[in-house]
Amino acid sequence: MPWFLYLALKQLFPTGRKFPFFTAISMLGVALGVAVLVIVTSVMGGFGYEIRRMIVQTEGEVQVKGRGLIEDVGGLLATVRGTPGVAGATPYVEGPVGILAANRPAFPLMKGIDVSSVGTVANLSRFVRRGSLDDLDDDSVILSWETAQQLGASVGSRIAIYSPLLFEKLNQDEVFLPRQFRVAGWFEIGHQHLDNSLVFCTLRTAQDLYGLGQSVHGLNVRLQPGVDEITGATRLNQVLPNGVAALPWTQKWESFLWVLNLEKTINFFLLLFIVIIAAFSVMSSLLISVVRKTREIGLLGALGASRRDVALCFCAQAFIIGTAGTAVGLGLGFTALAFRKEIVRGIASALQRQDTLRQFYQFTELPSHTLMSDLILTVVMAIVISTLAGLLPAWRAARLKPVEALRSE
Amino acid sequence: MNDAVLTATGLTKTYVSGDRRIAVLRGVDLVVAPGESVAIRGESGSGKSTLLNLFSGLDAPDSGAIQWGAEPPAAARRAAYLGMVFQSFYLIPELDALQNVLMAARMIRPPGGGERARARDLLARVGLGERSGHLPAQLSGGERQRVAVARALMNSPRLLLADEPTGNLDEHTGDAVVELLLTLGRETGTALVLVTHNAAHAAKANRSLFLHDGVLR
Ligand SMILES: Nc1ncnc2c1ncn2[C@@H]1O[C@H](COP(=O)(O)OP(=O)(O)O)[C@@H](O)[C@H]1O
Ligand SMILES: [Mg+2]
Repeated sequence: MPWFLYLALKQLFPTGRKFPFFTAISMLGVALGVAVLVIVTSVMGGFGYEIRRMIVQTEGEVQVKGRGLIEDVGGLLATVRGTPGVAGATPYVEGPVGILAANRPAFPLMKGIDVSSVGTVANLSRFVRRGSLDDLDDDSVILSWETAQQLGASVGSRIAIYSPLLFEKLNQDEVFLPRQFRVAGWFEIGHQHLDNSLVFCTLRTAQDLYGLGQSVHGLNVRLQPGVDEITGATRLNQVLPNGVAALPWTQKWESFLWVLNLEKTINFFLLLFIVIIAAFSVMSSLLISVVRKTREIGLLGALGASRRDVALCFCAQAFIIGTAGTAVGLGLGFTALAFRKEIVRGIASALQRQDTLRQFYQFTELPSHTLMSDLILTVVMAIVISTLAGLLPAWRAARLKPVEALRSE
Repeated sequence: MNDAVLTATGLTKTYVSGDRRIAVLRGVDLVVAPGESVAIRGESGSGKSTLLNLFSGLDAPDSGAIQWGAEPPAAARRAAYLGMVFQSFYLIPELDALQNVLMAARMIRPPGGGERARARDLLARVGLGERSGHLPAQLSGGERQRVAVARALMNSPRLLLADEPTGNLDEHTGDAVVELLLTLGRETGTALVLVTHNAAHAAKANRSLFLHDGVLR
């Protein structure tokens, strides 16, 4: 070990003395910053991860869509299902509808699903909170929780659905009566973006409401585990007929995912300021240490130390504080994440706010998903910033002339 | 001439503070032979420390030349060529006595078993064999200065520069430290330049010089 590293360690952890105050405080600052960064990026990553999972679980990894309507549904299904890497495919029809229930209106997005094959792609029953997907027939619908709220509808309520076909018929002076449906249940996927306004009905109902005959708007495709959405879409595009294309879900939801990521990035940089402030405290402690140790720095020169090595001695102290603080911070952060349920429950019950929490955060439990890339970024940033904090003290120390340093009594 | 440990010729040094110029050294010549001990006395403020700083290469003269052996002083050679002892001991408070002595060795390379044994040996020679694990704060002034002496000798330097090493010590302890410097220097063939106020200490050196009006006599 070069002398400057040895001395740096000894000045931070002197022989035979307790853990020195300055070292502890400086490290704690860095550790807190790192802990908060780990917790926040993991929880936000958790939200993102859950949302992604929900999207995939409700509509598969790949969507196959035609330029217009898809008429040969059976042929297309056979082609898609026969493509390697595809686990399942189901046709859908989707579009906006108007709903009236006891004079309360809603205009949700309707999605017609093929009850017999939807299970091979999506696990919708997982999200159905009241009623059952099995009860869905051509005379019933399942509403999203928010739509049900809006309509004041509950299981068994009767609602009327107006299709956009209505306007077309009106132009031709025909009367097109709304169809009556029974509410078979309601579902909650778990994210506002997805739950806002959606209603499920059977494929046939949707085809009727939109006057599509046997045609559909597209297919939702589920891939086999281990096949990513890009590969899957690429393979499908090689076999799909002209005018039909496969789109990976990440592309369909691109803007949404981008916003999610942006939120996380902004949070990361805001919280990085904790580490920066901690680094300032490291810097001021080291500056004090340079002043306090002026004569020892002079002595090092007299012993033959080069200016570069004297500077490295102080940089090394900042680096060691940064590294050790980061390690402690990772420990703190992951401990807090491991006990996150208890912590949230504790806070909520202390504030008597369990219900509010449930209402505003779309997930019943605080999710956590730590990305290796976030972790590496946090660790590297924390260590680099702390080490940079050592530069000014190091420069001050290296600038001291041994003769003058030794004279300072 | 080149076998001299230290050759100083025509050294001058003037300090400028504000509009005042203090010509501290006005032409100092000195040749120190290997193993020789030279005492330098002089009034306070006469420039003894200034002179030693020029000898050690920590400061540069305004004019004149210094040579360590055949070459001018170079920072890279200092650790191996020079040992220094100061009035204040300048031990590193975080390190115990042994590690303070080893610090000199570390400047050259990370110490191994040989260096450790030598450091222990030196501590034993200065009478601190039992105290090697003690921190400076646990040692008396005289003991600290003896650690500093051991540190100065650690790398078997050719030249030892001691600037009033007894200035902060009581008479008895001071005598012991000077005795150590002289004997250890003699044993190891290290030349010694000793700055002191004490006439008795100066008398023990091979040569005793006086710094007055910026010249050595
Ligand atoms: N860096 C400096 N700037 C200005 N004057 C100095 C400086 N260093 C020493 N001096 C002056 O030079 C003179 C000699 O100082 P010094 O060599 O320390 O004397 P000594 O060690 O003999 O007591 C003193 O008058 C001191 O005030
Ligand atoms: Mg002096």
